Amino acid sequence: MLVPRRAASAAGARELWLAAHFPRLPLEALLPAAASTRAAVAIEAGDPRRTIACCNERAARQGILPGMSLAGALALVPGLRAEERQPAAEAALLDRLARWALQFTPVVSLEPPAAVLAEVRGSLDLFGGAMSLCRRALAGLSGSGLGASLAIAPTPRAALWLARAGLGMTVTRSDALPGLAARLPLACLQWPPEAVATLSALGIRSVADVLRLPRAEFAARFGPALLDELDAGLGRRREPHRRHVIPERFDERLPLPCEATAAAGLVPAFERLLANLEAFLRARACGVPGMRLDLLHRARAPTRLRLGLARPSSDAVELRRLLRERLARCPLPAPVTALRLRTGMLLPQAPRDAALLERGRSADPEATARLLDRLRARLGRQAVFGVCPVPEHRPERAWQVAEPGGKAPLSASWPAAAAARPLWMLAEPQPFDDWAGVQVSGPERIESGWWDGHDVRRDYYVAWTRAGVRLWIFRERPPGGGWFLHGVFG
Amino acid sequence: MTDALAALLRHPRLWRGGGLTQGLATVPTGFRRLDERLPGGGWPLAALTELLVPTAGIGEIRLLLPALCALAADRPEAPRWIAWLAPPHLPYAPALTAAGLDSSRMLVVRPQAGLDVLWAMEQALGSGACAAVLGWVEAADGTALRRLTLAAEEGGSPGFLFRPPRHRDEASPAALRLLLTAHADGLDVEILKCRGGMPARVDRLPVH
Repeated sequence: MLVPRRAASAAGARELWLAAHFPRLPLEALLPAAASTRAAVAIEAGDPRRTIACCNERAARQGILPGMSLAGALALVPGLRAEERQPAAEAALLDRLARWALQFTPVVSLEPPAAVLAEVRGSLDLFGGAMSLCRRALAGLSGSGLGASLAIAPTPRAALWLARAGLGMTVTRSDALPGLAARLPLACLQWPPEAVATLSALGIRSVADVLRLPRAEFAARFGPALLDELDAGLGRRREPHRRHVIPERFDERLPLPCEATAAAGLVPAFERLLANLEAFLRARACGVPGMRLDLLHRARAPTRLRLGLARPSSDAVELRRLLRERLARCPLPAPVTALRLRTGMLLPQAPRDAALLERGRSADPEATARLLDRLRARLGRQAVFGVCPVPEHRPERAWQVAEPGGKAPLSASWPAAAAARPLWMLAEPQPFDDWAGVQVSGPERIESGWWDGHDVRRDYYVAWTRAGVRLWIFRERPPGGGWFLHGVFG
Repeated sequence: MTDALAALLRHPRLWRGGGLTQGLATVPTGFRRLDERLPGGGWPLAALTELLVPTAGIGEIRLLLPALCALAADRPEAPRWIAWLAPPHLPYAPALTAAGLDSSRMLVVRPQAGLDVLWAMEQALGSGACAAVLGWVEAADGTALRRLTLAAEEGGSPGFLFRPPRHRDEASPAALRLLLTAHADGLDVEILKCRGGMPARVDRLPVH
C-alpha cells in the first residue's frame, strides 16, 4: 500500500496551500481576454503535427479538445483562430500572476508551466476564512479575464492536484487527503507521458488506484521521484518550494536645500544619492545595467538623463564619474529643485574581492567596459564604435561599424582577398587627378553587386605617389570613367 | 679595482644614464634594424611614443603593425582594446583581419572637438584597458603631452601619438620621438629623442 501506515498529522494542519491552476494560460498569454468571443486555440510551438495545447471555452463548446491536430480542429470549426505557443509570454504572465498572489500572503511560489502556489494559513483570519479568500481570488482573476481553478490543501502538491483536477475544494485536514484520491484522475499528477501510458495500460485511472500499488515495486518501475511526489502530496514528506521574490529597484528622491541653477550645484546631492545606491547594491551583491537621473524643476517637466552601461556595475566611483560627464554636458533649462535617481532591474554580480595589495589596474577585467562607458558618456554613443569585416567582395561593403567587442559575423570560410587591402578606407571614394610622379601597378578587377542595385565594376590599382604614400585607386569600367581614390595603405 | 669600481657604481648618489633602459618594458617593433637602435629593443610600454609624420599614409601604421599584433595577442584571457583616436581615415576591417588583428578589439573614437581627443586619449591610456592607444592630435601643448605621458605610465599602455613634423623642434615629454620620411623603397626613421638611448637614424625600413 502506498498510503503511509503512520497516521498523518491530525486536524489543524500547520500549513495550508492555495493552488491556482490556469488551464488556458498558453492562450491567455497570447490573446487579450476580449478575443474570447471567437473560437481560438494555442498550438504547440515547433510541432510538425500542430497539436492543440489548449483552447478557449467557445472552441471547447464546438467540440475541440487539447491533443487534436490543427487540421482536425479546422475541419470542425473553419473560422478557428490558431496561435503558436510562446513560452516567454507564458512565463511573463505567470510572473504577473505570482505578483498578484502576493496580496494574499508573502509566501508565493511559481509552479510552471501554469500554476501558482501560495501558503495562506496565516492570512485566513484576515480574509475571513478559506472560502471567502477563494471567492475573492476568483473574482480578481475573472475580472482580468483569466480562467482559473483554485483549491486549498495542507500540502502544496495536494493543492496542485485538486486544482488541476478542477475540484474547487478546501481541505484543511491531512488525514482527509487519502480519501479524496479516488476523485483525482491520473492526469492531474502531470507525470511523464510514458509513466501515464504504462499506468493506464495497467487499468489505473485515479490517484487512489496508484496508491494501492505496492511501494517497492512502484519505485522500481517508475523511479523514486514519482513516489516522492506522492508522499509529498499526502504530507508524508516535505517538499521544498522556491519562494517568489519581486525584483527590487532603487528609486530615491532628494530635494535640494536650495534651487540649483548650475550643474555644479547638483554635485553634493547626487553624491549622496550615489552613496545610497552603492550601499543598496552592495547589500544585495547586485549591479545595475543602467540608471536614470531626473532633474526636477518647479514648473516644468523634469529633465531626464539616461545612462546605460556596457556591463552591470555597482562601483560608485565609476557611476559617479559617468554621471558627472553626463551632467556636465547637459544644459539646465530651469533651476533644479530635486533629484531623483532610479535604476532598472538589479542583476546579480559576483562580488569582487578587495585586493590586499594594490593590484595593477590593467588586471581588472571590467576596465574595458568601463573605458567604453566613460568615452560614450562624454563623446556620445555615435562617436565611439568598433569595426568588423563583412563577407562581401565590394570593398566599401566588406566592413561595417559594429558594437565594440562584438563578435564579427564573418565566417571563417570566407577567403581573404587575393590582393592586399589598404589599412585606411575613405568614407567615400574621392576623384583622383594628382598624377605627378605617380607609379601604378595592377589592376585587380572587382565586379559584383549587380543584383542589389549597387553595381560595382572597377579596376583597382596600387599607386605610389612622390611623397611615398601608397594609395588604392580605381577606374570605373568600361574605361573612360574617372579615377577615384578609395584607400590609403597607411 | 673592479670591485672598487663596482662599489662606486652602486653608490646611491651616482646616476647613470644607461641604467634607465634596464628593466624598461618594451615590445619588439618587428624590424630588427630598428630594434637595435631603440633602448630596450622595441617600442616602450607604459610610455608615450611620438611619431612625426609629414603625410598620413606613408607607412606609419605598417611600421606599428607587428607590434600591435604582438600587443593584442599578449593577454588572451582578458583581451584589451586597440584604440584609434581621431584617425585621419577609417581603419579598414578586412585589412586589419588579414594582418592578424582581431577586429572586434578595435575601438574607434571620432570626437567632434579637438580637445576631446586629448581627453579621450588620456582616458584610454590611463584606464589600463588598452593594449595600445593610437592618437592623431593636431595641437597639443607641453601640459597636455605631459598628462598623456603620466596617463600612459599609470595605465601601463603604450601610446602612439601622430603629429605633423612642424612640431619637431618643440620640447616634448614623450619617451620616444621619431620622424618618419617615406621613400619608394622604404621608410626612413630618424630617432629624435629616446629615453636612455642616443639619437640615431634607420634608413629604408622595408615596411611595404
